[in-house]
Amino acid sequence: MSIFCLGVNHKTAPVEVRERLAFPERSVPGSLDEIRSIEGIDEAVVLSTCNRVEIYGAGTELDQLADQVSDYLLAHFGIEPGQVEFYRHTAEDAAHHLFEVASGLDSMVLGETEIFGQVKKAYATAQEKGATARRLNKLFQQSFRIGKLVRSSTRIQQGATSVGAVAVDLAETIFGHLGDCRVMIVGAGEMSRTTAQSLLSRGARSIIVSNRSHDRAEDLAAELGGSALRFDEWEDALHEVDIVISSTSAPHAVIRSETIERAMPRRKGLSLLLIDIAVPRDIEDEVDRIPNVYLYNIDNLQEIADEGRNRREKQIAVCREVIRVALEDRGIEALSEPEGQRKKKDERARAGAPNQSTAAEGRPLTNP
Amino acid sequence: MGLLYLAVSTAFFLGGFLFALAMLRSGQRRPAANFAVMGAGFLFQCLFLSERGDLHGRCPITNGPEVLIFIGWSLVIMYFVVGKAFRLSLLGLFTAPIVFSFQLLALAWLALSDPGARPPDSMDPWLEMHAATSLLAYGAFGLAAVAGLMYFAQDRQLKSRKPGRLSRHLPPIRYLIDALVRLLVVGQILITIGIASAFFMEQRPSALHFGASGAVWLIYLILLLVQRFRPLVPRTLSGSAVVAFVIAVVTLFAL
Repeated sequence: MSIFCLGVNHKTAPVEVRERLAFPERSVPGSLDEIRSIEGIDEAVVLSTCNRVEIYGAGTELDQLADQVSDYLLAHFGIEPGQVEFYRHTAEDAAHHLFEVASGLDSMVLGETEIFGQVKKAYATAQEKGATARRLNKLFQQSFRIGKLVRSSTRIQQGATSVGAVAVDLAETIFGHLGDCRVMIVGAGEMSRTTAQSLLSRGARSIIVSNRSHDRAEDLAAELGGSALRFDEWEDALHEVDIVISSTSAPHAVIRSETIERAMPRRKGLSLLLIDIAVPRDIEDEVDRIPNVYLYNIDNLQEIADEGRNRREKQIAVCREVIRVALEDRGIEALSEPEGQRKKKDERARAGAPNQSTAAEGRPLTNP
Repeated sequence: MGLLYLAVSTAFFLGGFLFALAMLRSGQRRPAANFAVMGAGFLFQCLFLSERGDLHGRCPITNGPEVLIFIGWSLVIMYFVVGKAFRLSLLGLFTAPIVFSFQLLALAWLALSDPGARPPDSMDPWLEMHAATSLLAYGAFGLAAVAGLMYFAQDRQLKSRKPGRLSRHLPPIRYLIDALVRLLVVGQILITIGIASAFFMEQRPSALHFGASGAVWLIYLILLLVQRFRPLVPRTLSGSAVVAFVIAVVTLFAL
């Protein structure tokens, strides 16, 4: 196998190291030229995201090439040797690694979909630059096919895995598209902020922030593009919002069931989602008995997120099996052979001679 | 051939329900396949109704089984119209068993005692209009009841604070309620046309028939007016839609 992969990711390097190795988008074409100028490297693709920086290359003497790429990266980014430990994969391990990356199996959020687009973009940039040829073209196109297959035939993408994502899922389960949804934050804590950001990123219409410290409310409202409300006024606005995120530091319940009962008739049949992220809880549990009101506390959200993560993790073996079967069906042997030896094989086949494998040609990718 | 068409149609609706259930359990979504199975069931419904229409020489709603099948047929029409318009996935899971039940009952009924051809003494287009639009209205009301049942399922999932696979596949609460209200409106318009047509019939229905139809019309009108001016909580609205449909079907058969 004449392909290698060298890089760092969120598992092997902290963000302080990864950010030093990140390629600015506009510099990638130039870097591809520099990498390909290393003797022995015929093809290259640079994959640089917030959670990984990887160089895929094709050539001969893979271990030596990986060393040279490692030296190039250290020199290019001005990093001292020993400050970063790169992982490296060669031959079919490199192919498997790329397939798992494209399928979201190697992502910080298991099964996330953004990486697929990022891999496609990295490949497109390299292809436009003429930095890819037969081996990497085949490898990456195979990775896209396998990535799509894994996502469509398994449940690797199903289930929210973070508190914010769970909140968004719940909101969409109640309201559908969030474009008409108004959100109120009571208590400007960090968790409230991230949850509200998740909702905004999915199209929530507006945010109102109410906090004991009005200055803090105004700061957070400005950050989120919303408006601030004095803490003694949030009850009056309750009937106008669809989602309430509560995260105060009060030692007692701030939102009582009678407050919600007063607001609900004014909502004219519309549902209300209450997300209580505070410990101790801000919202009385009796609120959940009110029809058309849905109350979730931090434990509920975390449980759902954990379940989502567990479900996805159970899918890892299924995804790997899908990858294995897909490779068996297609026959990945074409990627296993260095170009020169493949040509020799073709010539022998034309001449009617039997194929002969040597150690230099690499192992078949799958067991016979 | 008619009973064969009906049997095949009934089998398709059972298959549609089982298929939707299997997809739900496996976490897959195959809305096109679901639509196709419901479509096949609908096709054989049409073949059955067409043959019965030829047999009677008029709209085939001359006896109890045919009325059941006609209501099932209009339920499926509403499913095709509403399902696509509102992107209500899983509607087939809830609609198919109702249609299957209606048709199974009708099939058994006809197999045991088929009253045979009942050609009209004379053709009265207002009678055809009254019967057809009234039963189409029942289809709309039936699908509104189905949306209500789906609301209950989704509400229960959310209130449990551990929404499962069913919740992920059910439509959002707001969409369900919107669809339910629109179906009630469509049904009310159709039943109004149906009742109005009765006044022009050559042979007017009995006072009992008028009374029962009027009662159903009034029930739904009150429901819609209350919803318009004092919106009900979804639980009450959904429950009312289900109860109203049960009353409507019972009065239909009591007549």
